[in-house]
Amino acid sequence: MSFLVVEGLVVGYGEARVLHGVDLSVAEGEICAILGPNGAGKTTLLRALSGMVRARGVIRLGGTALTGRPPDAVARLGVAHVPEGRGTFMPLTVEENLRLGAFVRRGGREVEDDLDRVCSWFPPLRDRLGQVAGSLSGGEQQMLALGRALMLRPKVLLLDEPSLGLAPLVTRELFRIVQAINQEERTTVVVVEQNAHLALGVARQAHVLETGRIVLSGTAERIRADEQVAQSYLGYRV
Amino acid sequence: MAGFLQQVVEGLGAGAVYASLALALVLIYQFTGIVNFAQGELAMFSAYVAWQAMAAGLPFWAALALTLAVSFAGGMLIERIVIRLVEGAPELTLVIVTVGLFIFVNAAAGWIWTFLIKDFPNPFPRGALEVGGVSVGFSTLGVLGVVALVMGLLYLLFQHTKIGLGMRAVAANPDSARLVGIRVGRTLALGWGLAATVGAVSGVLVAPLLFLEPNMMGGVLIYAFAAATLGGFDSPAGAVAGGVIVGVAETLAGAYVPAVGSDLKIGVPLAIILGVLLVRPRGLFGRAVVERA
Amino acid sequence: MTQVEDAGVDARPERRRPRWTPTGRRRAAVAALLAAALYAPFQLVPFHVFQLTMVLVYAVALLGLNLLVGHAGQISLGHGAFFAVGAYTAAVLTHGPGLPYPLTLPAAAVVAFLLGLAFGVPAVRLRGLYLALVTLAMAIFLVPLLKRFEGVTGGSMGLTLPKPGPPAWSGLAEDQWLYFLALAVAVASFALVGSLLRSRVGRALHALRDDEGAAEVMGVRLPAYKTLAFAWSAMFAGVAGCVYTWVIGFVSPDSFTVNLSITLLAGLVVGGLGSTAGPVLGALFVMFVPSIAQDLNEAAPGVILGLLIIAVMYVAPTGLAGLAGRLIRKIPRKE
Repeated sequence: MSFLVVEGLVVGYGEARVLHGVDLSVAEGEICAILGPNGAGKTTLLRALSGMVRARGVIRLGGTALTGRPPDAVARLGVAHVPEGRGTFMPLTVEENLRLGAFVRRGGREVEDDLDRVCSWFPPLRDRLGQVAGSLSGGEQQMLALGRALMLRPKVLLLDEPSLGLAPLVTRELFRIVQAINQEERTTVVVVEQNAHLALGVARQAHVLETGRIVLSGTAERIRADEQVAQSYLGYRV
Repeated sequence: MAGFLQQVVEGLGAGAVYASLALALVLIYQFTGIVNFAQGELAMFSAYVAWQAMAAGLPFWAALALTLAVSFAGGMLIERIVIRLVEGAPELTLVIVTVGLFIFVNAAAGWIWTFLIKDFPNPFPRGALEVGGVSVGFSTLGVLGVVALVMGLLYLLFQHTKIGLGMRAVAANPDSARLVGIRVGRTLALGWGLAATVGAVSGVLVAPLLFLEPNMMGGVLIYAFAAATLGGFDSPAGAVAGGVIVGVAETLAGAYVPAVGSDLKIGVPLAIILGVLLVRPRGLFGRAVVERA
Repeated sequence: MTQVEDAGVDARPERRRPRWTPTGRRRAAVAALLAAALYAPFQLVPFHVFQLTMVLVYAVALLGLNLLVGHAGQISLGHGAFFAVGAYTAAVLTHGPGLPYPLTLPAAAVVAFLLGLAFGVPAVRLRGLYLALVTLAMAIFLVPLLKRFEGVTGGSMGLTLPKPGPPAWSGLAEDQWLYFLALAVAVASFALVGSLLRSRVGRALHALRDDEGAAEVMGVRLPAYKTLAFAWSAMFAGVAGCVYTWVIGFVSPDSFTVNLSITLLAGLVVGGLGSTAGPVLGALFVMFVPSIAQDLNEAAPGVILGLLIIAVMYVAPTGLAGLAGRLIRKIPRKE
């Protein structure tokens, strides 16, 4: 049963079109990887899903149309987007950053529990709750971004290049946590990743995006197995 | 020595007024990256609203409450109607639009209330407190108290409420704020409303000291600019400290530097603005260079 | 002007090249305007001649401001101060040493230029709104400063001066003579700025306005051009101020409050930033709209000006000049 459905999605910045009719469907509780080379439109696809860029076409989340809604409205429907560059509120403290993740939720017990839960997933954050977020290392900021997104208790988690600029060990840990969250909470995850190997390791479905079109879709195993195809589309070894 | 301290006290009183207007400027700058040249005129307009309310028979404090409410709504309205449309425009456009607002509000006040000066009652009792040969007017104390109160309330709002947290998030990273579900447009309007309210306080504080007339805030605005520049345009606490420093510096320069005297005091904020911008553009308490690329 | 003049922009291959090319139209318009300007003082009553003279004075001031704001993209909220400095230079030199009035013009130009240069040097390090702040503060500071140096400036009372009289050979009345003086200065100023903008300097200024970063990459020496833009701009304001003194025969600090600076900027914005016609249209606006509105209410000029500035920034950032240009282009072309 498809939970997140995208049909004929077209996005253009001014004259230049970035996405030319993307179709995508993601089942509830599944991790879906979007792969592809630089400039394929992966980030734009995520930005369209969360309403950060205007898009034409259909985006539906469990029957609710998302197209045309502003990002704050999309967030209130339970879509958490960890953007490119992590979107940290630099001058604010780590705790404030996390609490902002739960901004649209009614405060109270549950939020406090979630704060605790996020801290147990990312122990380094617990020690730095009072610290200014701008002073965190890259890996810690990525944890913070993920933690902030989880504070929404999202139905859908959109991750943009979580591995960017991080040490392999840190990245692997992050993906492990994403997988754990997906299994525990049945959160649907759409992850955009250049590091196909990592993404295919956690994803069930995968789509390859090239110059604004989906050129290959299938289960992660199939994509991984189909090394020839992947190599010719992705331009690098899987 | 007592004479010197007396001057410092006078300066503190003036500085508190500058601080409150500077605070309003900084609030708007933080949210929108706009330096609002019309801030002083909005404060002046608020003072007229208070005057009108009192002329209609309201007691001072009721008139003040009404004025603050009207100013808040007015500030939000201006953001929604005027500023929203030029959001993200080049700096030149933003400056020109707020200058247009300056001219409009100034003239509108003149149209409604004429350019004749009006007497504005001082809410604080006459007389002064004598401390070791220095006399501190109740009016000065009152002004300091009100500004401290405003500061305290803003601190509580920003540090200890959800709305305040949302406002700081918008100031820090508007895109990210949208992604966590904050309605950024509304928050910006809220910021303008808040700034107009803080500005209204400064208008109501200034009116009894000067005379109420449409050009009342012109000079004060320059001092407030100097205060905000000195403290750092992105630091509310800095703006207040800057205001106090500018007030004291102005009074001392007027009293002890013969070349300055009372007529050239306005040169003091000019010198401060120039000096700060050339030596330390981010101000004393600013986080980073304030220029937005 | 029967020949084809403009080769590039408006080429329409399927039609014969129209006679009325943009450049052709523009030249014709300038010629017609000049002819009208030469003819006007003989047809109008002295008061209207005086008003037109003031339009020319403001046009020169706005020309200078346009160089800075419209072409170089810098902000000045204090150009009235340079205007005042030019006016006072002329007044003081006439009043004290009794300098003949033609010599006060270069003197005012030089003083304003140097002052602009002095402000332009720190201005190099300031961007946008800081420049606005500093220039605004300068304009506000000037008034008490003029009052302070009473011995030279006449203090609050100001200085009253004889107006330049027409030479006997001209057969002109005083108001007509003043008008032609102002016209000569205005035409020379516009010609000077025109050639300046067509040179490398103009390109450098536009590069500065459109993208400072790119300008620097292109090798435009930013600090030098920013400073010079300020100085030239101040110079034209000073020249306008000098002619103002000739025409009015009186200067006082209260004629040069910050309102003047703001009105000048407003006039330019309404007239059209960065266009040639902008300063002229702006000057007409500054001269006539407030005085007409004044009849309605003392505050009406400000209300109208404020609303117009805001409206212009939304609807027509190119001002009246841009609107006029659009209208002219809509007129069907002669075949």
